[in-house]
Amino acid sequence: MAGINPAHVENVIKNNHRGVIHLHQIGILQLTQNLDDAVRGFKAGLAEAGLTANFHYLNADGAVSDLPQLAEKLANQTVELIFACSTPAAQAAIQLAGTIPVVFTPVFDPVGAKLTQSMDKPGGKATGVAGMVPAAAKVDFIRELLPSAQTIGILYHTGDSNALLEVSNFKQAASTVFTLIDLPVDQAEDLSALPDKLPANLDALFLPIGRVIEENFASVAYYAEAANLPIITSHAPNVPSGALGALVANHYQLGLTCSVKAAQILAGTQPETIPVGLVDNPEILLNAFVAANLGIELPLTLLAKAAEVFE
Amino acid sequence: MLLTPQSVELLAPVGTWDVLEAAIGAGADAVYLGGKRFNMRLHRTDTNFDDEKLARAVKYAHAHNVRLYVTVNNLISEQELPGMREYLKLLNQIQPDSLIIQDLATLQLARDMNITVPLHASVMMNTHNEHSIKALMDYGVTRIVANRELTLTQLTLLKQRTGIELEYFVHGDMCVAHSGQCYHSGIVFGQSSNRGRCLKPCRWPYQLVDTTTGQTVAANDRGPYKLAMKDMCMYSALPQLIQSGVCSFKIEGRMRTADFVSRIVKVYRRAIDRYIADPAGYTLDMADWQELSEYRTRDLSTCFALGNPGASSIGYTGEREPRFFSQAVKEASVAAAISLSPVTVTRTKSPNPANRPRPQLAVRVACPDSLTSALQNGATIAFIGGEAFKPNKPWTLTDLAAAVSEANNYQAKVIVTTPRITMEREIGEAEQFFNSLESVKPHGVMVSNSGMLRLAQQTINIPIQTDFSFNLFNHHTAAWLKANGASKATISPEATYEQIAELVKNSPLPLEMIVHGAIEAMVLDHCVPSAVLEGTATYPCHHLCSEKHYSLLDSAGERHDIAIDQYCRNHILFAKDLCLLPHLPALMSADINHYRIEGQHYTPKLVGLITALYRTELDKLAAGDNYTFDKTCMNRLTDASPRSLGIGAFRYRISR
Repeated sequence: MAGINPAHVENVIKNNHRGVIHLHQIGILQLTQNLDDAVRGFKAGLAEAGLTANFHYLNADGAVSDLPQLAEKLANQTVELIFACSTPAAQAAIQLAGTIPVVFTPVFDPVGAKLTQSMDKPGGKATGVAGMVPAAAKVDFIRELLPSAQTIGILYHTGDSNALLEVSNFKQAASTVFTLIDLPVDQAEDLSALPDKLPANLDALFLPIGRVIEENFASVAYYAEAANLPIITSHAPNVPSGALGALVANHYQLGLTCSVKAAQILAGTQPETIPVGLVDNPEILLNAFVAANLGIELPLTLLAKAAEVFE
Repeated sequence: MLLTPQSVELLAPVGTWDVLEAAIGAGADAVYLGGKRFNMRLHRTDTNFDDEKLARAVKYAHAHNVRLYVTVNNLISEQELPGMREYLKLLNQIQPDSLIIQDLATLQLARDMNITVPLHASVMMNTHNEHSIKALMDYGVTRIVANRELTLTQLTLLKQRTGIELEYFVHGDMCVAHSGQCYHSGIVFGQSSNRGRCLKPCRWPYQLVDTTTGQTVAANDRGPYKLAMKDMCMYSALPQLIQSGVCSFKIEGRMRTADFVSRIVKVYRRAIDRYIADPAGYTLDMADWQELSEYRTRDLSTCFALGNPGASSIGYTGEREPRFFSQAVKEASVAAAISLSPVTVTRTKSPNPANRPRPQLAVRVACPDSLTSALQNGATIAFIGGEAFKPNKPWTLTDLAAAVSEANNYQAKVIVTTPRITMEREIGEAEQFFNSLESVKPHGVMVSNSGMLRLAQQTINIPIQTDFSFNLFNHHTAAWLKANGASKATISPEATYEQIAELVKNSPLPLEMIVHGAIEAMVLDHCVPSAVLEGTATYPCHHLCSEKHYSLLDSAGERHDIAIDQYCRNHILFAKDLCLLPHLPALMSADINHYRIEGQHYTPKLVGLITALYRTELDKLAAGDNYTFDKTCMNRLTDASPRSLGIGAFRYRISR
């Protein structure tokens, strides 16, 4: 949790002065309950700041095309602010007519997704916390986890703009450290032929974010295991399902940081001036069962730092 | 019987506390949910209730006069038994209104532990005939979650014949294959659909091809998703459903959101209440129907409730699939075998390997020529009967009697088998068949479901073996089978070497293991070729299967042959046949003494070759001195096999 925020203090004082508790109307636009930890963090943060709110929670249950309609519904409930989880939810929220401020997370590329003009000065009605773990941190993590790895294959879906962004970031950060092999996938079924694509000298697979690869991870893990290849993923649920490890943002923490920005907005600050936050304390996830199968010894330093080690 | 508000229970799925409150608020009479252990929805770590939350949920539901059922529907491995005991103890303390169970071992454990919570048989028990229901009732089961393949008419009949409470899936996601009998995910990925980890191979794209030519046969292909069942929705047939005697209307979706569950519960609640208040004056509420349709995930179908739906129940285009869980992969070949370090076995029965009895080799065959071939090459047991896959014909009583006398010449045994799925037609035939066995005089019978086990035990007096379909994973299940008349059992094809070794050590019954042959991934009441090529169901059937053999080709290029039996069921085979020949030393060291070849999809010549190879290797091993495996025989096997060879679940150290 960041230190005491002046806006929090201001809110608490305001509420106390009034002698009544002001009940805020806050909309939450959720893409999938997979991201509900962010909602929990967000609510906890607001409560901690002394704010009371009536939350209007709408969840599209994965159906991206339902989001505009759900955003409209929130607008009709005259919410003061929308907390939008995921890029499509944030896009649906800022496309509403009117001036309802939007706080988003874990959006990977707020500028590319046209939610903000820049990270420092959003310039519109939205701000939030970007969920992408910096590529340099991932490179360091891989080096620590697999010290002898030299050649890394990057497996990504070409139709996913977030994946493309992360691929480019990762290449920039890793090209001097590893030999990188591009493994693009145009459609999910291409994963069926993955072994034909894997060069023999590969030491590990790196999976950037991206829904198609994340969903069909079982098939990637299947082939990787057969080729004795460790997988470093960017999607936390892939770790218990067979990746060796991941360095990921903690969604609860993202929600918590978003609550600070929301409190500022409720206290009167314009979102256009509130910088977009970055993931500052990514957490380490490891899978000891996979490590044993691959004959890899997990470094003690990483085990000590890991947020979770799956057996 | 006159309807009252208590005649029907609306049962809602719950994955999180939010959903619990929402479902109850929306008017559910009962809810079902899973703990963090032993249930059918284990993919998602953010759903399901920990122990403390379970206890709170029971209190919360009861305070709102709502019943709460806990899903314990999972197969239990030997290693998990202590955990299951602990869990049952906890559940008995917090007293939900029922435990929805799958593994037969749970029946035995619940009896031994004096569990007072009522037991419901999960849909994963694949209960579809009255004898199964009676077998379960003997163990205190008060309700069964009926097979999704049963029609309302069949349900009414079961209700009348047994008096059991029937629960039926009325809304949501469906399996295309018989529940609890699908081994696709378990064997390919080591993540079993019978253990809550299905990766949904039925949602892969497939081409329908002619098995012989490999060419696509669907001229006007409706789309690649040939096994993708639409979502069940009984809203439009609610009067028929209520009148059928089904008492609990189950909504699927323990991973769904509060909004989603509450919307469906409200719509059904209103309809049920209106119907019960005035059945004759009831009409469909178009606005509610519209709402269900508008918020649907997949397209909707009444599935099997009003009769076999054929092509109308499949979403061929895949457009409305909400998400995928995997893509097709090349099945593990024999070359991919991990080396199995033989387990250390504390030998109690046969201290000296040289003194052990000669390993039994059983072969399942499809026709008299294959029987001869198996017997000539060293089979000690032959399985005949049961499903006859086209173009084979079922065995007549005369054929069977001739088979028995032929086996007697070889001092071998003939065991007659019965079909895996036995609904009223098959049960009726089986009753007559069992009566005729006195003249056939087989050496035993093999049964495939708990109803047939009970029927066999009550009507015939020869040894009974249970088949792989009982999903035998632990020794308590073996004990249950023994207590109910079995003298030998077959190990689940999903079990891995480590799991088998542990199980064999503790089993009170001799256990047989399938080591070679074509293995069935799925069994379907849906006829794939009829649906794809003619858009029909089983009726009217134009007997497409009499002209050609069909296969499903997946995106990894693997061909899954469709074997069609005399009841028109489609048995979808794995692309690779199981072959554990190189692993016999490890299996012998784990004290396995009963081996089986599934030879019913092979020619007589191939049956002979495989039988001879296994016989030779087993005898060499039993002799005990300096065994070496002759690797050249693998080439002969591979060349002669209609499909390439694989190692099934043995790819994995542990099946999850």
